[in-house]
Amino acid sequence: MADISKLSRFEAVVLVHLDAAYNLARWLTRDASGADDAVQEACLRAFRFFDSLQGPSPKAWFMAVVRSASLDWLKDQRTRGADDSYDEALHTASASESTESLVARDSEARWVHAGIAALPREYREVLVLRELEELSYKEISAIVDVPIGTVISRLSRGRDLLQQRLLESRERKRS
Amino acid sequence: MNCARLQQVLDAHIDGELDRATASEITAHLAECAACATLRDQRLALRQALRTEAPYFKAPATLAPAIRRSLEHASARPAASVNPPEINWRAGPTWFHAAVFATVAALVGLISGHWLAQPLPDYPLRDPAVASHVAALAPTRQLIQVASSDRHTVKPWFQGKIDFAPPVKDLGHEGFVLMGGRLDQVADKPAAAVVYQVRKHVINLFVWRATDRAPDAIATSSMRGFSVTTWAADGMRFAAVSDVDARDLSRFAQLVSAP
Repeated sequence: MADISKLSRFEAVVLVHLDAAYNLARWLTRDASGADDAVQEACLRAFRFFDSLQGPSPKAWFMAVVRSASLDWLKDQRTRGADDSYDEALHTASASESTESLVARDSEARWVHAGIAALPREYREVLVLRELEELSYKEISAIVDVPIGTVISRLSRGRDLLQQRLLESRERKRS
Repeated sequence: MNCARLQQVLDAHIDGELDRATASEITAHLAECAACATLRDQRLALRQALRTEAPYFKAPATLAPAIRRSLEHASARPAASVNPPEINWRAGPTWFHAAVFATVAALVGLISGHWLAQPLPDYPLRDPAVASHVAALAPTRQLIQVASSDRHTVKPWFQGKIDFAPPVKDLGHEGFVLMGGRLDQVADKPAAAVVYQVRKHVINLFVWRATDRAPDAIATSSMRGFSVTTWAADGMRFAAVSDVDARDLSRFAQLVSAP
């Protein structure tokens, strides 16, 4: 049956990137069950359009689908109104709390986590794709659907913001 | 190459995205200009911090099987071989949604019917587990007697205090941060309480000796706004209690009970 071979090709070409997909969805939605939903939805969409796969690499193609499913999930949350702002507040609160009051041994890791999570989305996504997935500028440009020049400037700006916060948090620790 | 130009392309240089000629101009400038070299060092330190400290969220073990099931379902649809209907998920419900909904509803009915038909020897234990959870969160009580996010500190702490060894896992990468443990009681039985935190919510995982060795599947229910998940394995009874979503708690239970 043709469908079975499509499934196994899909498995080998797309599903091998499931961890990367989940990681991106998790950083975009900042929510475990949101990431779950977005990745499941992305897989269904990717499977339907599998035959029209294109772009610099299958991974970049799949990540673009995951990104758009994650953004749809966020939009969905927002249209539900109160839900989103509540969630937002919950995350920021836990982020700032974790940097200060929780186990000191992990403070650097917690700071990095909170720092990236607090970045505006357009900087957060390019940083995750570059630093955690080690994708090329060309792939990132295809995933985020902006010119390479924009990828370069967003990466620089995102790193500036993070670096500033890193310095501030180290100073606060010293004082 | 001047400093202003260098700063524009420094990130691309560090990322190895520049052509060889530009890269060697930059290397030459960095060798002479201390200010630009400092900028580069800060960037390298930042990259190091990001790559070693930023959490990488791996897909939970339950995700791939769930996806395979839904793909098999999608590809087994009889209509798919003829003229697949375009499903616009953002549009209103379609016959496909209706079919999915009906299937899910039937499954839920089937599963809950199955659960209801099962004898539930541990249902009475939900009450004492919730009671212990509430008591532990009282301001006068000590929620944590051994505070550590290191399972190799928390697990040995129970040794000599109780006659079983509760599993203690590092689930920080999944969002469940280990906080520590304490001795507690559930329904007057000595229990180990392993404390985790997810976002701002405390999870108490109570573990005590089972009266028999029969394993019991994970079951989640809610009670007075708390989620409670119970199961049994390896001669131990488990009850996780928290005010998080039932779904989060089920996931937590699956992670803890995974071999």
